[in-house]
Amino acid sequence: MNRKTILLIDDEQSFLEPLADALQFEGHRILKARTGHEALEILKQERVDLVTIDIMLDPGEDLQDEVDSHSTGLFLCEEITHKYPKIDAFCISVVSEMRIIRKIESLGIRFLRKGETPLRTVLDMIRSRLTGIAYSTERDKNPRLK
Amino acid sequence: MSEDELSTEELRKRLGDLEQENKVLRERIAQVDRDRAEYLQNVSHQLVAPLNAIKWHIENLTGARIGVDRAKKVLRSVYSQATLVVHLAKNFNLMSNLEADHALKKLKEPLQEIELCRLLINLADDFQPLAWDRDIKILVHKDHFDNAPPVLVMKPLISQVFSNIIENAVKYSDQETEIVIEGKYVKSTDSVYVSVQNHGISLDPDHAKRVFDRGFRSPEAERKYPAGTGFGLYIARRIVEIHEGTIAASTRDGWTVFEVTLSVKGLKGKARLRE
Repeated sequence: MNRKTILLIDDEQSFLEPLADALQFEGHRILKARTGHEALEILKQERVDLVTIDIMLDPGEDLQDEVDSHSTGLFLCEEITHKYPKIDAFCISVVSEMRIIRKIESLGIRFLRKGETPLRTVLDMIRSRLTGIAYSTERDKNPRLK
Repeated sequence: MSEDELSTEELRKRLGDLEQENKVLRERIAQVDRDRAEYLQNVSHQLVAPLNAIKWHIENLTGARIGVDRAKKVLRSVYSQATLVVHLAKNFNLMSNLEADHALKKLKEPLQEIELCRLLINLADDFQPLAWDRDIKILVHKDHFDNAPPVLVMKPLISQVFSNIIENAVKYSDQETEIVIEGKYVKSTDSVYVSVQNHGISLDPDHAKRVFDRGFRSPEAERKYPAGTGFGLYIARRIVEIHEGTIAASTRDGWTVFEVTLSVKGLKGKARLRE
């Protein structure tokens, strides 16, 4: 698999570290954003292939008036879907509110529960998504699954 | 109007009042339910995050995805995440007993003489690996504690007070800053004073008072770390009160300062909690 650029959006170092270690081991270039604002700045400047998004996240100073920290990730999911439709995205969060999860999934973004999903599963899903083979939530867009 | 009609009128009015009261109570119960749901979600987030980190680090170690040098760092991180889980579990256990005075007896611990300086150094050691994640250094100015005698306290509880204050400072400090811990003996009151200072959220005087209220979180804290419960500093205040000490927060010259004073004699000779 070619080297891809993956942006991890999360304010918890404890989550970022093991995921970054594993993805680097698979040969990918890793970028990290700790706030919503940082994530949007990186997306403006870098060519990113895939993002992982946490929901409860510091929006950052420039976004704090328009976004609540409990739903920064939801805001990012909407921004990425609309402005960067070619970027694949996963949402990885402990949020259990079904309203938020349904909204994320309605955007075509796969939701994975932090703490319940083994790292191996996340890596398999990311690999599959980057190679376009499986685990897609949008089967119609995947020619191999037609 | 007859007496019976008046009475019916009065009854209707009372019924209306009761219905209104009932509506208000139902709304309050619904609000409590919403608050409880949010609290449980935050508790879950706080516990799941470090446990998830531990699980994923172990997957990387067993899957040989990292080299030996990195593995050493990862193991240190696993240790600090485990420390955090223990710290949080102690807080959630304490919460249930600090809520009501009648439950305070459950907190009964033998009084022990402890040197606060030593306790703070140990806590700094515990939290330093976590602090390194964001290049934060915890400094305990040992020399300032010279001549400070031991204080007579319930050690596990006082340890949780400073543990909560330091964990709070680590969580809310800006990246690449220092947390400075100092202390001194105050002869006039025969007490030991400790301050924990960090660069992070500045507290206006109103928030500085409310920061020890149960569940209170300043808007900036809420923004920076949305999953907090607002219980750590409340627990710290309740424990300090039980020890008849003082606790305060303020912002001075760009530093956020938490100050605790504990009497050297502590609860010696006092009946509370000892019956």
